[in-house]
Amino acid sequence: MTTPILEIKDLHVKVEEEDKIILKGVNLTLPAGEVHAIMGRNGSGKSTLSYVLAGKDGYEVTQGEVLFHGKDLLAMSAHERAAAGLFLAFQYPIEIPGVATMTFLKAALNAQRKSRGEDEMKIPDFMKMVKEAAAKLEIKQEMLKRPLNVGFSGGEKKRAEILQMALMQPSLCVLDETDSGLDIDALKIVSEGVNLLRSQNRSMLVITHYQRLLNHIIPDRVHVFSDGRIVESGDRELALQLESKGYAEFDGHAA
Amino acid sequence: MNKMNIKLSGAEEQLRAILVTHGQDSAAAQFADIGLPTRRIEAYHYTDLKSLLREVPSALAKANVGTTAKRSVFEGTARIEIVNGQMAGDFDVEGVSVATSGNDASGEDSVVLLSEALVGDVVEIKVSGELDQVLHIDRIIDGDAAINADKVVVTVEDGCSLTLVESFNASDAAHMRLATTEIALGEGANVVHLQLDGNSADTRHFANVRYSLAGDSLLRTFVQHTEAQLSRTVVTADFNGGGAHADFAGLNLLAGKQHADITLNVNHLVANTTSTEMFKNVVHDGAKAVFQGKIVVAKDAQKTDAQMMCQGLILSERGEILVKPELEIFADDVICAHGATCGELDENSLFYLMSRGIPRKEAKAMLIRAFLAEMFEPMEVEAVVETLEARVDSWLDEREEA
Repeated sequence: MTTPILEIKDLHVKVEEEDKIILKGVNLTLPAGEVHAIMGRNGSGKSTLSYVLAGKDGYEVTQGEVLFHGKDLLAMSAHERAAAGLFLAFQYPIEIPGVATMTFLKAALNAQRKSRGEDEMKIPDFMKMVKEAAAKLEIKQEMLKRPLNVGFSGGEKKRAEILQMALMQPSLCVLDETDSGLDIDALKIVSEGVNLLRSQNRSMLVITHYQRLLNHIIPDRVHVFSDGRIVESGDRELALQLESKGYAEFDGHAA
Repeated sequence: MNKMNIKLSGAEEQLRAILVTHGQDSAAAQFADIGLPTRRIEAYHYTDLKSLLREVPSALAKANVGTTAKRSVFEGTARIEIVNGQMAGDFDVEGVSVATSGNDASGEDSVVLLSEALVGDVVEIKVSGELDQVLHIDRIIDGDAAINADKVVVTVEDGCSLTLVESFNASDAAHMRLATTEIALGEGANVVHLQLDGNSADTRHFANVRYSLAGDSLLRTFVQHTEAQLSRTVVTADFNGGGAHADFAGLNLLAGKQHADITLNVNHLVANTTSTEMFKNVVHDGAKAVFQGKIVVAKDAQKTDAQMMCQGLILSERGEILVKPELEIFADDVICAHGATCGELDENSLFYLMSRGIPRKEAKAMLIRAFLAEMFEPMEVEAVVETLEARVDSWLDEREEA
């Protein structure tokens, strides 16, 4: 059997310099080419899992390990994880005033290439690649000239995230509540953008509250997240059951 | 005059002696009475020169000392060089006349007193025609450590425009610079005035910049402190005619043990004048940045609109930014505001950039460049913006920490 893209083994995480434990033994194996959904109520630790995977400071792993292509993910810094092929689509993409979106995209792509020992992209190739990817997501050139995420609508921010994902060609996409703040049309555009990126060599971890997103991005597996761990796993049907019965059925807590 | 017979420090004795040597007996006597300003003088509260200026050079800068100091050259500009207080070379640009004259020393403030008393030739520039070139004055201190005072007086006549870039360059020695610039804007005149710091690291830099604005004139300014160990620039502007507008800007970009102070006095003296003030401070290591901004709106200056903002970025545990905004408003129909922000780089922004593959140091540099970009963009002189951006890049490279 080939090495899974992501293996999370008994992961325990607490907030640095606090006693608050957030992840309490997460186990998850994500084989190449599969899309897994993580569903859970607010505060169950879903976003923390995405941050820990992406390498955000402020968390302490007290137990367990995470393997990315068989290598110790937790030993890598955030930018190394990105260069190695991990991409986190943020629930709330950060506004960066003073940095044009295009400038940022070029800096990010070239930084990743540099980390991998590759040459910088030629400007015309870069422009062509961005133009094509932007067109698929109905992103106008004008938007790319604006400062990164500044003044973008909720839908524009999420589309910009998917644009970055398309350009960076990661092997693991972690989508943190990508459906939040999207109207139906935007949800469709974003989902189509994500579906276009589904491939044999790429896995996705889709974190969401609602089954709605999973009508557009069909998962291979669904995991129910509660109180810092996965309490139930199943196929797509599980998401539908959750939608009709609610989380209480699975985690025993009142809503 | 308040005769107090203060005890002069070694540096103060030295400065007094230099005034005497320079034939400025009355200035020397006046200086002996007041000495260097201390923290007890409100305007120097954060920049106590008695304690910061322990040693001063023993002589005034001399002519013909050779050329070791670097020169600044901006392509496409008309360039005037002032070396050790004297104008060097010929200058011939249509619409601009250059002359030199003597100077009268006076001043309650001892830095102003020293600056005025020690000036040799005043360089007088009159703009009376159509000028299609940027004017660049390179003010250089060359040779061994010296006290150097120079003064540029610019008159921009009614309806005329001038973009003036002043660069301060110095040879690698512990100079003390006293630089004065006065710019008078005629009716409807349009002036951009940028002052760039190219001092040696050991230089102590004191600049006094005074503007007077006639009706309907338009002014944009910028002052930069990045190089000298101790810098203080005092910018004073008097709005004397309705319809005048000015945008004042400045930057302290500091590291190591640097101390830099920008003190701004904006005087809205007549009705219908407007201004914006945008000052930024970035400190690393144990550096200290000071910004004092005072906007005065006189009793008759109705309809004044003044918006002052000071933003600070502290990049180290020991860095300090001291900000004192002041509004003195005597009119009742005005819009005045001031704001100050100060903080570290935003961790969420850093993480976002890092999560896209950008290493931490580079991500920090990106955010610092972005912080400064809005200040450089409106300068209109591309060569200067490029120079500043390149200096910011090299400054960032010099910061060791990852």
